[in-house]
Amino acid sequence: MAAVLGLIVGVIIGIFVRPDIPIFLQPYLPIMVVAALDALLGAGRAYFERSFSDRVFVISFISNVLTATLLVLLGNQLGVGAQLQTAVIVVLGIRIFSNVSTIRRFIFKG
Amino acid sequence: MAGKHKDKDLLSRMHVQHAQDKENDRMDTGSFEAVRSRPKRRGWSNPLKTRLMTSILIALLCGLLGFGFALQVSNSTSMYETMSEEELTRLITESSTQVQNLEQRKSELTSQLDSLKKAADKQEEAERIAKVNEETSGLLAGRLPARGKGIVIRISQGSKDKVDAATMFQLLEELRIAGVEVMALNDVRVITSTYVSDGKEGLECDGHSLEAPYTLKAIGDPQNLQNAVNIAGGVGSRLKVKFGSSVSVTPSNDVVIEEIRTDKAYEYARKVE
Repeated sequence: MAAVLGLIVGVIIGIFVRPDIPIFLQPYLPIMVVAALDALLGAGRAYFERSFSDRVFVISFISNVLTATLLVLLGNQLGVGAQLQTAVIVVLGIRIFSNVSTIRRFIFKG
Repeated sequence: MAGKHKDKDLLSRMHVQHAQDKENDRMDTGSFEAVRSRPKRRGWSNPLKTRLMTSILIALLCGLLGFGFALQVSNSTSMYETMSEEELTRLITESSTQVQNLEQRKSELTSQLDSLKKAADKQEEAERIAKVNEETSGLLAGRLPARGKGIVIRISQGSKDKVDAATMFQLLEELRIAGVEVMALNDVRVITSTYVSDGKEGLECDGHSLEAPYTLKAIGDPQNLQNAVNIAGGVGSRLKVKFGSSVSVTPSNDVVIEEIRTDKAYEYARKVE
């Protein structure tokens, strides 16, 4: 409930306020968004498995975002930023798909 | 305990002691308070408050996610800042190649346009010349009606003799020498191939018989034409003296010649390329 509410409020603020993103953050923002999405879907899956823990969610959210960002940052330093970004996106995409399929199983099995 | 049973005999004391020991031995250690490995969570003793705080935190994080998402979606226009160096160089190379291609195409099209313009100019020039030629040759060949300054000559039938073809042709020749441009004899347009001959019933011109009085319309310089007819000992006086016909020459500013000829189809002659 709180998650959905926060999501809606955040999207509305993002649409209407529209601030300038700091230039150093611009390459990492999409990765951060994808990582956070993965954490959110993981939390949704845990909720359906009745093992949801708010502390685990908060920590996984933050660590997901930080890890993804740091990985891309490292890639940029090493000169393989684009490839590593792709790798992170692919891995997170696979995780998102598996989470979604688990949630779907829960929903349709009842 | 020992004092309590002082008066009893040793056997009974030992018995009591044994029973007590047994009871003590049977005592469960589990009844002692167990020491937990972790201390109980400090602070936030109120579970309601804890739940409120965590849900606020979750809402905040999800809000951040939505915020970032919306920002990224709305910010997709200025992509160059997030591009890496290689991507930018690739982009520059691509666009410069495209520019080169476009320049080349432009120069091609420009030259094409130039040649087309040149061709159009040539065409126009040719058209103009053709128009002038058409007019000149039309007048010359009798294809077009003409008007302009000139004279009108009226010759009545001679009282002494009929006017013969040679004299009439001489009149035409004299006028030609004087610079006549267009002529018509009665209703026959006089052109380069016009002949005058003596027929049974008078003069014949290009197959038409001419009836007296003869009217000759001529366009040219009126003064010169008049002189050519009226010159002493010329064709005018010959007509008057030899044939006794009256010759009247009237200059006019607007002689209209409407007699025309159809074009002659050339069968053998071809122009030289």
